[in-house]
Amino acid sequence: MSERNLYPGLNLGSGHGEAHEQAETTVFGFWVFVMSDLIIFGILFASYASYLDPIGLAGGPGPSDLFDIRSVAIQTAFLLLGGVAYGGVSLAVKYDHPRGKIIVWLLVCAALGAGFLFFEIKDFITQAGKGGVPQASGWLSSYWTLVGLHGVHVFSGILWILAMIAQVIWRGVDDVVKVRLSMLGVFWHFLDLVWIAIFSFVFLVPLS
Amino acid sequence: MTKPNTGEIDPQESARQELRSYGIGFVASLLLTVGAFAAALSDLPTVWKIIAICAAALLQIVTHMRNFLHLSFSVEQSREDLLLVLFSAMLLAIMAGGTWYIMSDLGGRMHGNSHEDRSTSLP
Repeated sequence: MSERNLYPGLNLGSGHGEAHEQAETTVFGFWVFVMSDLIIFGILFASYASYLDPIGLAGGPGPSDLFDIRSVAIQTAFLLLGGVAYGGVSLAVKYDHPRGKIIVWLLVCAALGAGFLFFEIKDFITQAGKGGVPQASGWLSSYWTLVGLHGVHVFSGILWILAMIAQVIWRGVDDVVKVRLSMLGVFWHFLDLVWIAIFSFVFLVPLS
Repeated sequence: MTKPNTGEIDPQESARQELRSYGIGFVASLLLTVGAFAAALSDLPTVWKIIAICAAALLQIVTHMRNFLHLSFSVEQSREDLLLVLFSAMLLAIMAGGTWYIMSDLGGRMHGNSHEDRSTSLP
């Protein structure tokens, strides 16, 4: 906090020398990708909002037929805790904690992300069983695309976490790994950000 | 660009500060999430529910950006990161807001039942 932040996410700090300076360009570049990803999500939110009327529903099942607010709350809890848990990774890397601690925090993030995906996929299966398949209406197409794309992001986040665990084990926490962990942090927190918009505007607003 | 100022900051102290910042972010986002769900389940009029949910979402996004992504308007932040967020938000407002406006206007014109509207829009 007292030091100037060079890039998004918890900065490594000048104590890390090379890695901190390398992270400035690399994490900024990754941030540019994340922001273009945000545009994709934003456009999908716009089509979801446009289809959210009787014409968009096209006589198919609607929000109150398909959405289970309890399951959405459980998914939100998993993802929110997963996001905060990455703080453990960032702090452990920054303050040179032993490797084991970094790996444990990464495993916690991956497990919470997997819990989220489990409930999301369970919901998708239930919804498809009730006739809420993507081809049923314009609204459902936009719903599956938006929420599904977020799910795919979480899944790739988990794969990335597992890849980083492998790298921490085989390479150790060198400069390259530190920079990659900083990028992963930005990505993981970004998924939380998108989920806030999804649970608020996709699930809660239509149910109100 | 980075000048070592390790003399001024005690690493223990800044670690505590950062941990606290994550803690505050967690508690704030927990309260806002619970608030949004409580509003959706409450007996308030729909308009109020939607306003409450939108307000909670906006506040929670700001909290996440500040406490987890460490982006802020303060001078300690690299300007480009924030400018990029603001530029993306502007693009999004134009494209997403525009899409929503055009589609809802179109929906109103094509499926609305006001005949006066239709006759005046014809040449």
